[in-house]
Amino acid sequence: MEDARRQEFRTALRQTKNLPTLPGIVAKLSRMAEDPDTTTEQMGKVISQDYILAAKLLKLVNSAFYGFPQRISSISSAIILLGFNVVKSLIISASIFEVMEDQDVELWQHSLGCAVACNVIASRLGVKDPEEVSTAGLIHDIGKMAIKMELPEEYGMINRLMQERGVSMRQAELEVLGLDHAEAGGWLAKGWNLPAKLIEPVTCHHDPRKAHDAQLTSSIIHFGDIMIRALGYGHAGDNKVPMLSKRAWEFLNFSPEDIDEVLELVEEKLWDVKGFSLEVKADDSTHAGD
Amino acid sequence: MQQILTLQAKDGMTLAKDVMTSEGRVLCGKGTLLTAALIERFLKMDIVQVTVDGHPVSVPGEKSLQEELLEIEERFSEVKSVPPLMYLKKRLMKKLVDSQGG
Repeated sequence: MEDARRQEFRTALRQTKNLPTLPGIVAKLSRMAEDPDTTTEQMGKVISQDYILAAKLLKLVNSAFYGFPQRISSISSAIILLGFNVVKSLIISASIFEVMEDQDVELWQHSLGCAVACNVIASRLGVKDPEEVSTAGLIHDIGKMAIKMELPEEYGMINRLMQERGVSMRQAELEVLGLDHAEAGGWLAKGWNLPAKLIEPVTCHHDPRKAHDAQLTSSIIHFGDIMIRALGYGHAGDNKVPMLSKRAWEFLNFSPEDIDEVLELVEEKLWDVKGFSLEVKADDSTHAGD
Repeated sequence: MQQILTLQAKDGMTLAKDVMTSEGRVLCGKGTLLTAALIERFLKMDIVQVTVDGHPVSVPGEKSLQEELLEIEERFSEVKSVPPLMYLKKRLMKKLVDSQGG
């Protein structure tokens, strides 16, 4: 592959002309979170101003998707109970939910399922804030969406190659574009100004060794992706369970009992999130303001 | 377990999930043996779907157990040399067989 063409794809994917942007509120809240003088009330106020987002956030918080034990009825109690980092990843999730749900339902289901699996695995490993890992799981394949939207012609070639030769989608991407969806997804996440701990797992979910700071999260996403493909939940381009990374398995170090219990919990949660959507009805949003 | 329409429920089936009211209150717990009277009550309360043990209702176009097992084989076809993944496959197949038989 000549470098000029690869550069062309890179530019097209970086510009993301056809992809929706994340609401400005995500960047605004990130800035506020970095300022030590910001109070919970100020943050709650900013979120509540966007009452549709606030309603979606509360719907997500109270859904089986996360399964927090108590019912949370306001944005400020969400910040107090869950902490700002969790609320921030919930906002990112709520915003991306919408973007992805509209694009490709099957890929969306795969991503949602992966997020559920990541949450269960992260909790099992005792990771602090498993919701953050869950958000990384939700967005791990955004590169596939970016390729489909920004490079429709090449996307068609990738699909033909998969059919003709039975190769995986990732292999076909590498042959057609000289880069894969993990790399493309990393650029998109960067373009959306997402935090570094979400970008690395997207870029490294096929090879957690490449991650610098987020090897554990990347390993969880790696195995979450494997589990959800194994279950045949949703569709991520091809139906094959990918090769297990040795490094990821060293991090997880699951016994057969661990696998059994994780599998049981994932299946249960998937059952509960079946048909879940963040569409809010007009009357849902009336309680969203604080 | 299987999610079915309350109209398809029959006495003798067992609830695999709690039945909730629209306010989120548990009306009838998981494990409850359904009776005609109970089903009648659900219908009156506009509870459209229930989740029951096993796979009592066959849906047209639904994949057979054998087809589903073959699909699992296919999905794992490129990772046959990886013990943890083969264990995962074995467990998935067993769960599938148990859930359809129960």
